[in-house]
Amino acid sequence: MIIQWILVFGLGLSLIYSVLQRGKSRLVRYPIAITSIAGIYFVLFPSQTNSIAQWMGVGRGADLVLYCWIVISLVVSVNLQFRILSLQETTTELTRELALRSPREPRKNPGLADAEVESAPPQVRSTP
Amino acid sequence: MSDPHQSQQHNTVGTRLWIVIPAFNEGAVIRDVISGVRQRFPNVVLVDDCSSDETGTMALQAGAVVLRHPVNLGQGAALQTGMRYALARGADYIVTFDADGQHQVEDIPVLIERQRETGADVIVGSRFLGSARGLPPLRRVVLKTAVLFMRLSSGVPMTDAHNGFRLFTRKAAGKIRIRQNRMAHASEIVEQIGALRLSVAEAPVTIIYTERSLRKGQRLGNAFNIVWDMIVARMRK
Repeated sequence: MIIQWILVFGLGLSLIYSVLQRGKSRLVRYPIAITSIAGIYFVLFPSQTNSIAQWMGVGRGADLVLYCWIVISLVVSVNLQFRILSLQETTTELTRELALRSPREPRKNPGLADAEVESAPPQVRSTP
Repeated sequence: MSDPHQSQQHNTVGTRLWIVIPAFNEGAVIRDVISGVRQRFPNVVLVDDCSSDETGTMALQAGAVVLRHPVNLGQGAALQTGMRYALARGADYIVTFDADGQHQVEDIPVLIERQRETGADVIVGSRFLGSARGLPPLRRVVLKTAVLFMRLSSGVPMTDAHNGFRLFTRKAAGKIRIRQNRMAHASEIVEQIGALRLSVAEAPVTIIYTERSLRKGQRLGNAFNIVWDMIVARMRK
């Protein structure tokens, strides 16, 4: 059936995605890999899937595939959330570096003692 | 050292003290806040978190060094920027101070004195040891709940975990790294104090809530955002 091949193709893509996530969070990689493989199996062997589904308490095999898909989507969105956060950290570092490179010093600074104020902006080391 | 008062202050502190003030759209009050601080403590750095008003210019006129974030990042990020600047300027002590006028300049020496007494790495101002004028009852309940939560999760015994009025020694400021850009940084700092095994003590401070500061300050709904940010941060570890 055509639908089988479409589904296998989609699940295959998510299996490749999980392999490409090597070196990233294990929380993301393994669940996607396992659910993708299980999903492919379910799609290719519908009759066995039906009995597994009934054994697990899910009415039809097709529903089981759907549930696998939902799990994959959830894990992928968690992964995306993490990526957004690390992008945000990069933006923060950049912004901070820009701010630190151009401090505006008050022109007259009677309060600040000595030449400290007049001196050139300090070289701020980046965080280790 | 033309001003005798300052050299005396310098002697009292004995070392270099920098006041770090994160600010976002505080143009209405920032000049008074900075002038007040600078009457006693000359080294003030204001981190303008991309305000759309005149906050930066006002602060500069009042005599603060002004750093401007080209994009708005949040209070935690602004604090970290200010602390890094102060460290680069050779600060031995860093005091973080709110821009909205809630904190009192007279309390800064209280923090310094407490550091001297205890030798702690971090001194945290506590409104519950001191006083919180104009604090709405519901907010008191939320703050107290947060304190209890922090005590349980970080193991650091504190009476007020979410106060922006703190003193860091150079050592502590160099170790602490605020990664929570938004408001969860208060809890993050407490967690790091626990994790880095820094010593901490509290000092009583007075916080005066005005209608303006309450309007601009944290909404209660934000408590959920804070908890969410913390959960995500834990999952990433």
